[in-house]
Amino acid sequence: MQDHTTEQELKDRLSLIESMIAEGRRNTESWGWTFVLWGVVYYLAIAWSAWGHSVWAWPVTMLIAVIVTVGVASLKADNHPETTLGRAIGSIWMALGISMFLLFLALGLSGRLTDQHLFVAVISAILGMANGASALILRWKVQFACAVVWWVAVVTTCFGTDTQSMIVFLVAIFLCQIVFGIYGAIAEAQEHKRRGPIHA
Amino acid sequence: MPDLPALNPVVHGRLRLALLSLLSGVEEAEFTWLRAKTDATDGNLGAQLLKLEEAGYVAIEKKFVLRKPQTLYRITETGRQALTEYVQALKQLLGPAIDR
Repeated sequence: MQDHTTEQELKDRLSLIESMIAEGRRNTESWGWTFVLWGVVYYLAIAWSAWGHSVWAWPVTMLIAVIVTVGVASLKADNHPETTLGRAIGSIWMALGISMFLLFLALGLSGRLTDQHLFVAVISAILGMANGASALILRWKVQFACAVVWWVAVVTTCFGTDTQSMIVFLVAIFLCQIVFGIYGAIAEAQEHKRRGPIHA
Repeated sequence: MPDLPALNPVVHGRLRLALLSLLSGVEEAEFTWLRAKTDATDGNLGAQLLKLEEAGYVAIEKKFVLRKPQTLYRITETGRQALTEYVQALKQLLGPAIDR
């Protein structure tokens, strides 16, 4: 058979194998929408707590975000294959969601959500940890850059003024949630379009 | 000059190769997921999966989830071995051209 098979066809087969194995292991990029959703929810919570001065701002917005995320994820998970890598990444983000929800709920209801610098530092550290762990597992440089942005936010908010702390937090949300989420969604759509149908 | 290896014709088919490669990266996958990843038609996909099953490279499990039928596919040890041997044969055939 190989007499009739050109070198280019053989290379094409090799590249097909690599792309399909990568496709089977891909997980995070199909979650671009959750990054955007949570980014928007953070902005809503900040706006509500800043202008409304409500202790319910963070608990309520986080609860809504968790319900929407779990609802949409369960619909998407219907035909998604099970992989060890997928479970590892999923576990990191599920643990993050539970931690954030309990933290915001407890801080909001106890009335201890008073130190903005500490609040931003804790959120940024948790998000830096989750993005960093996910990026190291997936060997994804773009996501690791997001982790670095969150870690920079942790340090900056501890030493900066109130205004600087808030600006750093808002910029980190924009870059690591909104921009990264849209990038993930576009990358997934482009990859799907580029690959095209595979015939026998 | 050493003998060049033969490529396994069951694995060599483009869609079958894509399916084996996809299944090698997951524990098990549904028909609909495989269809979405390959953009193949139902008929073509079903036919190629049947050939892989007949060769013993893929195992099929049918079950009902919330009263809906679900067909799950997973690569067998024989299938994984065949894919590994195919990749080794490809690399041997390509030789130095692999980096060009």
